[in-house]
Amino acid sequence: MRRRLFLVETAAVLAAVVSLPRSLGAANSMRPAVDHIINIADFVFNPANPKVRVGDRVTWINKDIVPHTATAKDRSWDTGALAPNQRHTITVKAGMTQSYFCHYHPSMIANLDLD
Amino acid sequence: MKLSTMAALVGITFSALMGIAQANDPSKLNDLQIAHVAYTADNIDIRYAHLALAISSNPRIHEFAKTMIRDHTLVNQKALALLKKLNASPQDNFLSRQLTKNSKVLVDEMSKLRGAAFDKRYAGNELAYHKAVNGLVANAFIPNIENAEVKALFKTGLKIFKAHEKHAEMMVKRLK
Repeated sequence: MRRRLFLVETAAVLAAVVSLPRSLGAANSMRPAVDHIINIADFVFNPANPKVRVGDRVTWINKDIVPHTATAKDRSWDTGALAPNQRHTITVKAGMTQSYFCHYHPSMIANLDLD
Repeated sequence: MKLSTMAALVGITFSALMGIAQANDPSKLNDLQIAHVAYTADNIDIRYAHLALAISSNPRIHEFAKTMIRDHTLVNQKALALLKKLNASPQDNFLSRQLTKNSKVLVDEMSKLRGAAFDKRYAGNELAYHKAVNGLVANAFIPNIENAEVKALFKTGLKIFKAHEKHAEMMVKRLK
C-alpha cells in the first residue's frame, strides 16, 4: 500500500515537472501583442533588427523627404510606397520572411528578428 | 564594366569637374550659385533617367531610373520651396553651364546605344556622376554654404545621393 502511494506521488511530481515548461511556454505565447515602431530616417531602418513575435504589430514610419518601402526579400509582404510622414503596419505571422529592404533604395536592408 | 575602366571613368568625370575648379573654383560659389548647380545636376540626372526609360528594356534599369526621377524631383521641389521662402533665386554660373554642356555630349552618345551596351553605359555613368557630384557637395559646397537652412538641405540631399551611388554600384556589378 505504502509502495503504491509512493509510486502515485512520484508520478504526480514527474507529471508536474514535465508540464512546467509547457505551462511557461503557454504563458509566453499568451503575452499580449506588442507594437513595434521602425523609423525610416536618413536612409536607415531604425531599429534595424528588432525582436518580434507572432501576433506583434510592426509599424514603419517614413521620416525622410523621399518615398521608401519595406519589402520582404522574397517580396512575400510589402508596405507599399510610404510617402514622407506616412506609416504602414504589418502583423507578424509565423514563418514570415524576416529580411527586408527598400524597393526604391536596395542598399537599405534590415531584418525582423522573429522569436 | 571592368573595375579599371570604372576607375578611369570616375577619374575622368572627377577630373572634368576639378578641371573646372582650376579655372573657376566651386568652393568660391555663393549659396545661390550652389543652389543653381544642385538644381542643374538634379535635372541632368532626371534627363538621363528619361533617356534610360525610353531606350532600356531592363527592369532593373527602369526601377533605378524611376527612383532617380522621383527623388531628384522631390529634392528640387524642396530646394525651390526653400529659395521661395528665403525670397531668393538661384544664380547661373560657370559650373552649371559646364555640367549642362557635358551632359549634352553624354546624352548624344548614349542615345546611339542599344541593349546591354546602353545599360552598362547608363549604369556606369550613374555611378561616376553620383560619385563626382557627391564629392563636390561634400567637399566644396557643404563646408562653404552660409545659410543654415540651405546647408541642412544639402546635407539631406547628400544622404539621398549617397544611397543612389550605392544603388548604382549594385547595378554596375549586376550588369558585368
